[in-house]
Amino acid sequence: MIGKTWIVVAGDAAVGNLIATARGFGGTVSAAVVGPRAVADTIAGGGVDDVLWFGEPGKAPVEAYAGAVADAIAASPGIVLGPTGPSARVLLGAVAARMQVPVLTGGTTASADGDTVLVTRSVFGGIADEINIVAGPAVLLLDGGQVSAADGSAPVQQVDCTPLGITVVETRPSHLAHVDLGSAVRVIGVGRGLGAKEDLALITELAGASKAEIACTRPIAEGLDWLARDRYIGCSGWNISPEVYFAIGISGQLQHMVGVRGAETIVAINSDPNAPVFAEADYGLVGDLYKIVPALTKALT
Amino acid sequence: MKIVVAYKWASNPQDATVGATGAIDWSRAKPGISEYDPVAVEMARELADATGGEVIGLSAGTAAVNATMARKAALSRRFDRAVIVADDALASSGSTELAAVLAAAVQHIGDVDLVITGDSSIDVGGKMVPTVLAGELGWPAIAEVNSVTGTDGGVRVERATSDGTEVLEISGPAVLAAATDAAVPRLPGMKDILAATKKPVEALTLADLDVPTTAGTVSIKGTARPALKARKGQMIDTTDPAVAAAALVAALRGTGAL
Amino acid sequence: MTAGGVPEDIQPEPDFDVVVVGAGVAGCVTAYKLAQQGHSVVLIERGEAAGSKNLSGGVLYSRGMQEIFPNFLDEAPIERRITRNYINFLNADSSVGVDYKDARLADPVNAVTVLRAKLDSWLAEKCEEAGVFVMPGVRVDRVLTTEGPLGKRVVGVKSGDDELRAHVVVAADGVNSFLAQEVGLRPKQPLHHLATGVKAVVNLPRETIEARFNLTGDEGAAYAIVGDCTQGVGGGGFLYTNQTSISIGVVLRLDDLVAKKKSATDIFDHFLSHRFIAPYLEGGEITEYGCHLVAEGGLDMVGEITMDGMVVIGEAAGLTLNTGLTVRGMDLAVASGVAAAAGIDAALREKDTSKVGLGGYRDKLFASFAGQDMKTYGKAPGFLEVERLYKDYGELLANVLYGAFNLDTRPRRHLAAIALRAFRQSPVKIRHLISDAYAGVRAL
Ligand SMILES: Cc1cc2nc3c(=O)[nH]c(=O)nc-3n(C[C@H](O)[C@H](O)[C@H](O)COP(=O)(O)OP(=O)(O)OC[C@H]3O[C@@H](n4cnc5c(N)ncnc54)[C@H](O)[C@@H]3O)c2cc1C
Ligand SMILES: Cc1cc2nc3c(=O)[nH]c(=O)nc-3n(C[C@H](O)[C@H](O)[C@H](O)COP(=O)(O)OP(=O)(O)OC[C@H]3O[C@@H](n4cnc5c(N)ncnc54)[C@H](O)[C@@H]3O)c2cc1C
Ligand SMILES: Nc1ncnc2c1ncn2[C@@H]1O[C@H](COP(=O)(O)O)[C@@H](O)[C@H]1O
Repeated sequence: MIGKTWIVVAGDAAVGNLIATARGFGGTVSAAVVGPRAVADTIAGGGVDDVLWFGEPGKAPVEAYAGAVADAIAASPGIVLGPTGPSARVLLGAVAARMQVPVLTGGTTASADGDTVLVTRSVFGGIADEINIVAGPAVLLLDGGQVSAADGSAPVQQVDCTPLGITVVETRPSHLAHVDLGSAVRVIGVGRGLGAKEDLALITELAGASKAEIACTRPIAEGLDWLARDRYIGCSGWNISPEVYFAIGISGQLQHMVGVRGAETIVAINSDPNAPVFAEADYGLVGDLYKIVPALTKALT
Repeated sequence: MKIVVAYKWASNPQDATVGATGAIDWSRAKPGISEYDPVAVEMARELADATGGEVIGLSAGTAAVNATMARKAALSRRFDRAVIVADDALASSGSTELAAVLAAAVQHIGDVDLVITGDSSIDVGGKMVPTVLAGELGWPAIAEVNSVTGTDGGVRVERATSDGTEVLEISGPAVLAAATDAAVPRLPGMKDILAATKKPVEALTLADLDVPTTAGTVSIKGTARPALKARKGQMIDTTDPAVAAAALVAALRGTGAL
Repeated sequence: MTAGGVPEDIQPEPDFDVVVVGAGVAGCVTAYKLAQQGHSVVLIERGEAAGSKNLSGGVLYSRGMQEIFPNFLDEAPIERRITRNYINFLNADSSVGVDYKDARLADPVNAVTVLRAKLDSWLAEKCEEAGVFVMPGVRVDRVLTTEGPLGKRVVGVKSGDDELRAHVVVAADGVNSFLAQEVGLRPKQPLHHLATGVKAVVNLPRETIEARFNLTGDEGAAYAIVGDCTQGVGGGGFLYTNQTSISIGVVLRLDDLVAKKKSATDIFDHFLSHRFIAPYLEGGEITEYGCHLVAEGGLDMVGEITMDGMVVIGEAAGLTLNTGLTVRGMDLAVASGVAAAAGIDAALREKDTSKVGLGGYRDKLFASFAGQDMKTYGKAPGFLEVERLYKDYGELLANVLYGAFNLDTRPRRHLAAIALRAFRQSPVKIRHLISDAYAGVRAL
């Protein structure tokens, strides 16, 4: 039986999976919410026992509350769960430092086992799994997931605090669309095999014809900036398990493939017959994506 | 500006072999400067050159981090000097322990204005060392930073958020984790490598630092090989793309994937 | 004045006495020796770490190393000491082998298995300790030369925008040495002097290896295989035991591959899955896999190896031997490294690093066993062009033994008779047997 579990919320209410996990531990579940009141209320209605809210952020980014969150949680320590986003990581880092406790990343499942928690983690870029026994306060990062409203609402207590000296002086909205790949049934992943950003049109057509979401490898989102940063799959991005995943112009490096190992079926299209991706594919097509993708779109319409 | 760049001396898991029990054999994997850390070095160098100041490399690990090769590899990058915490007691340290050691080293260096780290280490890849480090120092931290410029008494950083770009101003010292594409690192040339051996290095052990002990609340129950789905591994002849496409669509409809 | 015709004083002050390009076996040995003799040496390697670019391992005839590093056998990362040599004629569904075990092979140790990734980085460390400036992660892409009155002289190397100058440049950059080619010391290799090697390392538990090859302790086995393993293409297969892995590969004559329109990797896969080979590897995991060219031309391949300001050593100088059953090169690389170091040391003392001044290298090389062996085995490649070696002999032997061991109800014939009958059925003619045997004796 676990005494207390904390859930750290960093501006975004997508912590459903964490609440469910914490509930599974038994014991009380408290949330430390940084962000607008609306987020605090969503969490309060999402099945936690109580909510600490750090006030309206105004010009202060989530990260400015790291110290305050650390203080609050260190005051009544427990197992701390949090999502994997950059702002959440800053809050969680401060908590781990303040309590001087271990941090577990790459967590896939966590469940109570007597008065300890068993955590399964994918370690070292996914080459192995490790099962850990957590026997006291520790920080555990898990993938988010939408909050499903529970009946009743937990009390929200406002903590007054002075944020650290960071202020947002400017925001420039991007024009890259976002998705929730977590729930997508079909996903088309595109990699550096694509010659130019314009050629994404080919992929969009295929996506239309197959009713699939478009995702990518890291270099496509970071570096080339052809797609939003929340669209790349792999150990530092999404871990998805769709019905079918199309890996197009993707070499199939470990760090990417770990993110799609849950896929029911994997189709690989690559001009290099020796590309590692074929080793993890159900259907492999060796050839030029510029020839195969249009043909595939045609075959689907 | 006095900038510390934390770099990790690590091996690529892709070169390691995993036994049936999930035990990892690193013997064939050659350690090097972790993939994304040179980005942090470049970012720091540009900032230091713009504001006037020095860039200090900082790494913590086993004795290997202080081996001639490792020192040379590090200092052939664009550091002015390096501080290396080499202690075999760090062999199995987790992110929190490492961050605590790095924080102690930053205190030891003194008057540091900014710490810049890579996005993620090639081996652990938890992206948590920089944020715990900031926590230990009580400094603000921002991850996935795309660019940084100096202001008086602080820095101004840009980062990509899920819905655009955000510009932030930070007063006082801070820890920044550079986005993987924040800068294009320069590969060291022969002259850089020759110059490396002339740069000063301060080698420390844990005994030289005052590092808080991390609670031993986590232990390893076991390891395993990731359970991989059995894949069909069926190759479809693509001499005629149309035929290939039809075959694939048929197959996928068959399995109900489409 | 140096005999190279370039007065020292008009040459920019060199950064090092010697620049060695390539941290393979040859390069490391030369650099180590020269540093020991007190010269300033830089060892440049394109791989991020020494050995990282090198095909993993094989059998090293270790005497040469033991002379350089007295406790090589205890200190160096050697895998096993070869005490068992097995020569195997492989056919599609039969296999004939000669199993040669000899305690004398273990004491004194003559051959050991090594994994290059480990050995090379050990050697690089030794160099470092001896005072060599080891420079990994740098690819040399040009040789710096000056035109002296007596012709071209090498004065250094270039990588990117950086130049390093030295009295002597050592080309130890392996089989398709672009350094030697750039300065015109070596022609682009003719096809029929090259073989392509495909090689893999297969991980297996120590106990399994010791059981399958009946070895104990650090004993090791070396298998040399001809016949069906190359599907009739000129060349051979090998299989060596390491501590917890097996090095296995094929070496195939490039021209024959091309002529027979076969792909090296297909042949290799066929080899791995061969009914008599697969059992050795069962349950193992391929951890490394790669292709690499081998110069197998014997002495013919060793062309000019010295010029003003430069020497060529190891495989870059064509110092490899393909005896048809195995590839030798590391020991020759060591020997050439030692000879080169001696030659360069003398030249530096005499302040004459011209071709003449460096001449000591060539002399010492050909005085050494390496040079001798290159002469002795000089004809090996010619011998290997004899097709029957890969196909017919194996069948022939098998048929003889089949006759002998296949106990049907008929009364036993005298073995000679069996042999003769098997022989009539085989495409091999007495003439061939004799002439090949003769060629073989001369070449091997
Ligand atoms: C610590 C760390 C974490 C990482 N995390 C991630 C992660 O989470 N997600 C991720 O994706 N990556 C990650 N990476 C990067 C990863 O290692 C690979 O570099 C990356 O996945 C490669 O992307 P790619 O396959 O698109 O590009 P490449 O590897 O360059 O592959 C391009 C492929 O396209 C093929 N191709 C080229 N032209 C054509 C054509 N006309 N038709 C068909 N095929 C063609 C090529 O044969 C090649 O196989 C990480 C790396 C590190 C070090
Ligand atoms: C399949 C196969 C099996 C073999 N088996 C055996 C065996 O069992 N026993 C044996 O003794 N020999 C064997 N050999 C031969 C042996 O591998 C070579 O003879 C030996 O490696 C030669 O050593 P070397 O130092 O001359 O060259 P290499 O070992 O090839 O070293 C050359 C080095 O130079 C570096 N380099 C190249 N170009 C540059 C550049 N421009 N700048 C910087 N660095 C550069 C390379 O990265 C490499 O590290 C085998 C070869 C093959 C292909
Ligand atoms: N042992 C270490 N020494 C120095 N810096 C480190 C160390 N471990 C991690 N870092 C830094 O922290 C970043 C993120 O690492 P990680 O949290 O392990 O993904 C790396 O890119 C480094 O810049």
